[in-house]
Amino acid sequence: MNRSAIVDFLKRYDFTFFGISLAIFIMGVCNLYSATHASSSEVMAGLYKVQTAKFFLSFILGAAISFITPKNYFRYSYFFYLVSVILLILVLVLGHKGMGAQRWILLGPVRLQPSEITKIAVILVLGRWYAKTNADKELGFKALIIPALLVFIPTILIVAEPDLGTGLLVVLIFLVVSFYRRLKWRTIGILVVLGLLSGGVMYKFGLKEYQKKRIVTFLNPGADARGSGYNAIQSKIAIGSGQFLGKGYLKSSQASLNYLPENHTDFVFSIFNEEHGFLGSLILISLYIILLFRFIWLAQSVPRMFDSIVVIGIMSLFFWHTVINMGMVMGLMPIVGLPLPMMSYGGSSLLTFGICTGMATSISNARNLF
Amino acid sequence: MFGEDDLVRQHKGRADLIGNIIILCFLVILARLWYLQVFQGELFHKFSIENRLRPEVIKAPRGMIFSRNSQLLTDNIPRFDAIIVPQYLKNRTVTLKKLAQVLSMTEKNIKATLKKNRGQARYRPVTIKKNISLKEVSIIETENSKMPGVRVNTFISREYRDGNAGAHLLGYISEINQRQLPRYRKRDSYDYKLGDFIGQAGIEEKFDLQLRGDDGYEFVEVDARGRMRRNIRSNKLFPGIENKPVKPGNNIRLTIDRDMQMSAFKALEEKVGSAVAVDIKTGEILAMVSRPAFDPTNFSKGLTKEYWNSLVQDERNPLRDRSIQEHYAPGSTFKTFTAIAALEEKIVSAEQELKCGGTYRLGRRVYHDWRRGGHGLTNVYKALRRSVDVYFYQIGVQLDIDDLARYAKMFGFGEKTGISLSREIPGLIPTREWKLKKSGEEWQLGETLSCVIGQSFVLATPLQLAMAYATIANGGTLLRPYLIKEIFSNSGEIIERYEPKEVGKIKVSPKNLRAVQKGLYQVANHPRGTAYWYRGKGLKMAGKTGTAQVRSMSKKELFARCEEMPYKDRHHGIFVGYIPFDNPKIAVSAVVEHGCHGSSAAAPVVRDIATTYMKKYYPNEYKKNVEAQNKEYVRQLREKKRKQEALERTKKEEEIIEQGPAFQMGG
Repeated sequence: MNRSAIVDFLKRYDFTFFGISLAIFIMGVCNLYSATHASSSEVMAGLYKVQTAKFFLSFILGAAISFITPKNYFRYSYFFYLVSVILLILVLVLGHKGMGAQRWILLGPVRLQPSEITKIAVILVLGRWYAKTNADKELGFKALIIPALLVFIPTILIVAEPDLGTGLLVVLIFLVVSFYRRLKWRTIGILVVLGLLSGGVMYKFGLKEYQKKRIVTFLNPGADARGSGYNAIQSKIAIGSGQFLGKGYLKSSQASLNYLPENHTDFVFSIFNEEHGFLGSLILISLYIILLFRFIWLAQSVPRMFDSIVVIGIMSLFFWHTVINMGMVMGLMPIVGLPLPMMSYGGSSLLTFGICTGMATSISNARNLF
Repeated sequence: MFGEDDLVRQHKGRADLIGNIIILCFLVILARLWYLQVFQGELFHKFSIENRLRPEVIKAPRGMIFSRNSQLLTDNIPRFDAIIVPQYLKNRTVTLKKLAQVLSMTEKNIKATLKKNRGQARYRPVTIKKNISLKEVSIIETENSKMPGVRVNTFISREYRDGNAGAHLLGYISEINQRQLPRYRKRDSYDYKLGDFIGQAGIEEKFDLQLRGDDGYEFVEVDARGRMRRNIRSNKLFPGIENKPVKPGNNIRLTIDRDMQMSAFKALEEKVGSAVAVDIKTGEILAMVSRPAFDPTNFSKGLTKEYWNSLVQDERNPLRDRSIQEHYAPGSTFKTFTAIAALEEKIVSAEQELKCGGTYRLGRRVYHDWRRGGHGLTNVYKALRRSVDVYFYQIGVQLDIDDLARYAKMFGFGEKTGISLSREIPGLIPTREWKLKKSGEEWQLGETLSCVIGQSFVLATPLQLAMAYATIANGGTLLRPYLIKEIFSNSGEIIERYEPKEVGKIKVSPKNLRAVQKGLYQVANHPRGTAYWYRGKGLKMAGKTGTAQVRSMSKKELFARCEEMPYKDRHHGIFVGYIPFDNPKIAVSAVVEHGCHGSSAAAPVVRDIATTYMKKYYPNEYKKNVEAQNKEYVRQLREKKRKQEALERTKKEEEIIEQGPAFQMGG
């Protein structure tokens, strides 16, 4: 390979996605260190190292994926979808039990979590269907039937694990992608009215008090027994006490006293806010917004409909994770337990985001080939 | 693929819209952050520095357990633990030194305890000493300011009024352990926490969820030293915060009669075994005792290692509930069911007499009767009252083992009774299929001969025996035994009421059932019956003795005096019966391990329990029966005397005749 080819390649390579992700991750791992360094358990205190290792593994995988031609995503989307559904069935039949839910298959030392793969598979399969079926027309009810089936089969399997959070997320991605694929406003209106009506009726007449409560605890099995309000309150105190400039790095009192039970996973954003205040959050949120808008820009810059839809799907995955996590820690939403992209501790979510970043990069790189 | 560019561009409107929605969402989030961090920030900041918000758990008082006559069987007594909350611990060395002094412990001990719990969250209290005295409590409370971080934790210990007498039945409570936590959470879908006391055996375990109630909590503001400031009812910072009221546990009224339970417990004193009394019409359990027992109160008080070791190392296993968790060869008490099977299968009729010598030969093996000389001509009544082994061997060779099993199962043998207690075992009724599956071998006729007299494979729990005899007594309805009459809330509202439940009806002709009942009556009321001398007064008892071999024995051993054998080799003594014969009310079973004889060891236990019952619930009938029995006894005595006199008279006359006229002169 000669010099000019390398230069050419580097010129074409879109570093923005990995760049922004890396920036967020660096903030995340520093924050994770702050949240856990005071812990008396050695495992907890060393968590930031594990997280870094996991991040680089996902990064390398994502980088490898970024060299795949997007045509292959299209070609193998159904196959990939089928595999993920089979894995979901397998996990129900012989999955490994953890925390009362069956989410993993053990492949030697690797814990495979098919519901994570399913998120990507659903995005791909929706992209292929929507790109190839009357892509020039608006979507009505009839056009929704088959995509809805494609989404609900894995969703039901995920909910059965039970993992209601991820199931909900897949449906939300479906909604965003369908909206992008020009779902008629009339259809949207009818869907909203129907949803509100059936939800309201169910909640008001169909469910008993204890069932409502059970749904809430079902959504969030890790909720502190002292009342679901407690976590939210501690989180609010942490955020609020950060004020405009924050208490300063490694100075979170709520975290070091272990007031927040999940402070390294679901509640990282509260610790971040406590230490870095409104200003810090503004920077972090800006990074997320830049990333999301870069996705939207890419979706409109690609020559193929399939690529465009897949990028929107990936964008919505990042978007929902970010908004739901932030909303729940500041008391705007019930606590559902979705990680904050690149910030929360956890290998499987990092892997998903890494793969998605790689896919977006490869789509961006291929954009100029024609 | 070319030309799709336009297609993508068609979606620009939607892409822009999505962008706007994203901006909108983040604006909401930023507005909220502004509100929390800038608008209310100072308040929150102050709060986070000066105060801590802490939920104070209010333990729900555990529900009470009552006897059927509403006598209280349990008590909740407050006790105190000294604890340290590491988060608030200041001036470590001084505080620990002072605390060690107050509790008369060594500092090293306290430090070791703290070290052991280092892994947990710092706001979690660490128990330093359990069960401290009131004096220690008052010192810690008054000197609180000198020992920051040290507190007194009040907890409720569960005490059992009748101590050991209800040990297995009521069970005990103790702290939930790590292993149980996930299992119980799943079982009850209740959020158990470490430190919670849960029922670990008996009623306490099975009905834990009813008894435990639901802990409440109240949010309190505490200062930096961990002292309480005030309760937070409503607070402008936390509009959503809500305290949770405590919900006391529900109470349980048992079917158990306290007096009968005590008399059963007393009757088994110094023995190893079990006794069960049931109401034959409802299946209510009136008494259920297993010995040796333990003191259940000890468990919630904070079990000492010595006491626990003494229980675990005792080879008689005091923790096992022998009434449902142990099965025995029922011995001759099983002959009743062999007799029913034989009569039903028309192998013999009730009146038909079989010749019964001292042995029965099958092939090369000789089966012995318990009585060396045998019993002569025997019908079914005599077979039961004298427990004639050879009679049952003779019908046994004609009885198919699967038929016998069918009848035994009708009476509830070989299956769990379904009582609402954990770890019940089903006992065993062998069949051909079972044997084949278990050992891969065909059934042997010789094995049937052991089974018909309740030996070898046949196994039953004391509860099963009582239920089976209750079925005979009530005319053929197998009931599900139950322990709980009702569950009621603290305000007296009935939450659940338990009713008798039929498991099945036996298919035995009334005639044959009556014949067996008559045989059982003679066991305790015919002067030659095996339990005649233990029949008690005023009971009109029907029943059957049983003596179960612990292992197979040679002929010499078989006839050796049981009491002279090593303890481990002695036979188990069993008795099952019901009272009164003509209008049955309760059935009682008793097993005394290594008690040698069903008659002398177990029958008195049944007699005592039954007597308590009759005296308490039917005093008039009891008195009448006693008088009738006394009268009958006097009549028998007189008759005996008259017979003897008559005999002597005729003897004399004979002598006179024999000796001729010599005496006539003197007469």
